[in-house]
Amino acid sequence: MKRAALLAAAGLLLLTGCYRVQKPPQAQTGAAVPVTRGDGKTLRVFIWSEYIDPELVKAFEKANGVRVVLDTFESNEAMLAKLQGGGAQYDIAVPSNYVVQTMVRAGLLQPLDKSQIPNLKNIAPGFLNADYDPANVYSVPYQYAATGLAYNRERYVPRDTWAEIFGPDDRRSFVLLDDPREVIGAALKFLGFSANTTRVGELRAARDLLRRVVAKKGFQGFDGGPGTRNKLLAKTVDLGQIYVGDLLIATEEDENVQVLLPRQGTTISMDTLVVLKRSPNPELAHRFIDFILDAENGAQLSNYTYYATPNAAARPYLDDFLKDIPALNPPAAWLTDGRLDFIGELPAGRPQRLYDRIWTELKSR
Amino acid sequence: MIRRTHPALSAWAWLVYAFLYLPIIVLVVFSFNDSRFGATWAGFTTKWYGVLFARADVREALVHTLEIALISTLVSTVLGTLVGLGLWRYTLRFRTALTGLLVLPIVVPDVVMGVSLLMFYSFVRQGLERAGWSFDNGFWTVLLAHVTFQISYVALTVRSRLAGYGPELEEAARDLGASGWESFRRIILPLAMPGVLAGALLAFTLSLDDFVVTYFTSGSGFSTLPVLIYTNVKRGVTPDINALSALLVLVTVVAIVAANALLRPRRGA
Repeated sequence: MKRAALLAAAGLLLLTGCYRVQKPPQAQTGAAVPVTRGDGKTLRVFIWSEYIDPELVKAFEKANGVRVVLDTFESNEAMLAKLQGGGAQYDIAVPSNYVVQTMVRAGLLQPLDKSQIPNLKNIAPGFLNADYDPANVYSVPYQYAATGLAYNRERYVPRDTWAEIFGPDDRRSFVLLDDPREVIGAALKFLGFSANTTRVGELRAARDLLRRVVAKKGFQGFDGGPGTRNKLLAKTVDLGQIYVGDLLIATEEDENVQVLLPRQGTTISMDTLVVLKRSPNPELAHRFIDFILDAENGAQLSNYTYYATPNAAARPYLDDFLKDIPALNPPAAWLTDGRLDFIGELPAGRPQRLYDRIWTELKSR
Repeated sequence: MIRRTHPALSAWAWLVYAFLYLPIIVLVVFSFNDSRFGATWAGFTTKWYGVLFARADVREALVHTLEIALISTLVSTVLGTLVGLGLWRYTLRFRTALTGLLVLPIVVPDVVMGVSLLMFYSFVRQGLERAGWSFDNGFWTVLLAHVTFQISYVALTVRSRLAGYGPELEEAARDLGASGWESFRRIILPLAMPGVLAGALLAFTLSLDDFVVTYFTSGSGFSTLPVLIYTNVKRGVTPDINALSALLVLVTVVAIVAANALLRPRRGA
């Protein structure tokens, strides 16, 4: 309910085009009117919850003699709404890849000064220059989540294919992610299409498939990561579509819960680090980004969150446990052979409406 | 006079209570669960309470929550009581319109409230920045936002409390020689008091609970418990948050019991 409310709020803010708070006053008056200038001593970061190791934050604070303030948000849309309102001054935000362009268009971001981020070289080339931000003008990769198929091997071990859910077999109980792009994307991948397709025929095929899937006896509804994770731990469901990181963290408690990437490929979502245009401490923000992109720090991040790192140099420092999990380290070839699709921004208009309509139909079935 | 309730009816009542309170009981029980994900029972532990008290962000949010709730309740109770009394006492030309305005913050969805306040603050900030001033959203903006929606609740409870009384009460007091201030202090205010207290309690709990308006009006580095808890849902609420919720339930129960004891009409008075 509240989530819906926030999405509505985000929409509302986006609709109010007359909104110009993000424009710094200098641009309006030409004079050097003081915006709240940072003292270079406090870095404000807007980030998902449980998404950074507190020890890492402490290390950065100590090394630079500064204080880091972390505020959390629960969805990209809620974050966007708050930033567009202009009430809060953050230096860094951590949006998912598909909202980066939206933020650029809203004038919320400043171009990065790459000379201040030498560790950018650590990022695997496959994760740079992606469609959502060619040449990485505004964003650097933070961590990413592939969407996988989770199971409890004490109960049932699936094959590595989306057919476990989307095939004709109706014996298995399963949960789908409560996210239109993930669900429709998985159906598209199963059918051999791109998860970002705008072709009407392909979308119709996905719709017809999904209609059958949600009519299956085993369909246990749509759920976010934590709910699905709990169902797998409690063995009340055979299979679940889930972000790999959200499931892996549960192996701490029960190593029988596992996740795999279907061979047809899957969707991935990259969370990125961006510097906000109104950042009071842009220099410190850049230093923080460079700190995160350091090899050992990048590994420490993933060792804490269990999300995948785009940092190639960090791989050797990952915990052995994480190194051994294929779902967390998809073969490099998958990035180039079209099996991994970044969930991309949809062009407004007909494709967007088609996705919306399919989702509405599935949810109101 | 005491009528026996039908057994089916009381069974139904128990079911309703179970439906309302079982989730809370489960939550309290699971705050003692030795499992990080709370899906299965993994043994008894009190470690989450330890984890909770070690968290600086929780402590900070708790302080913010209480500061905002206490101060905003105080301010809105005073202002709301005055509004309620005014609406009761005077025949105003735009009375219906004014009452409507008062009801508005109650019926308007939280999110509209939150976003409109956010925009209002931005508007004000732009003006101030041109004059060389600036401010960040934070304590004051949240406080102001809470007061705006709390006033309505207080004013309406005060007004409805007095609804049964006519102006003759005050006239009688004046006839007997009371000054305006005396008649207010010794007649009107005591009569309105249950409404004032009820309104204040409502305002306080609303402030403790509020997420949407607070989320939009708080700046960076200022969060309250509801904001902290809600933004945790993405990766699953951790058991220390269960422990926190259990403590909040405890505090609320104590507050309600105390309020009941205070509000109970005194015998033989």
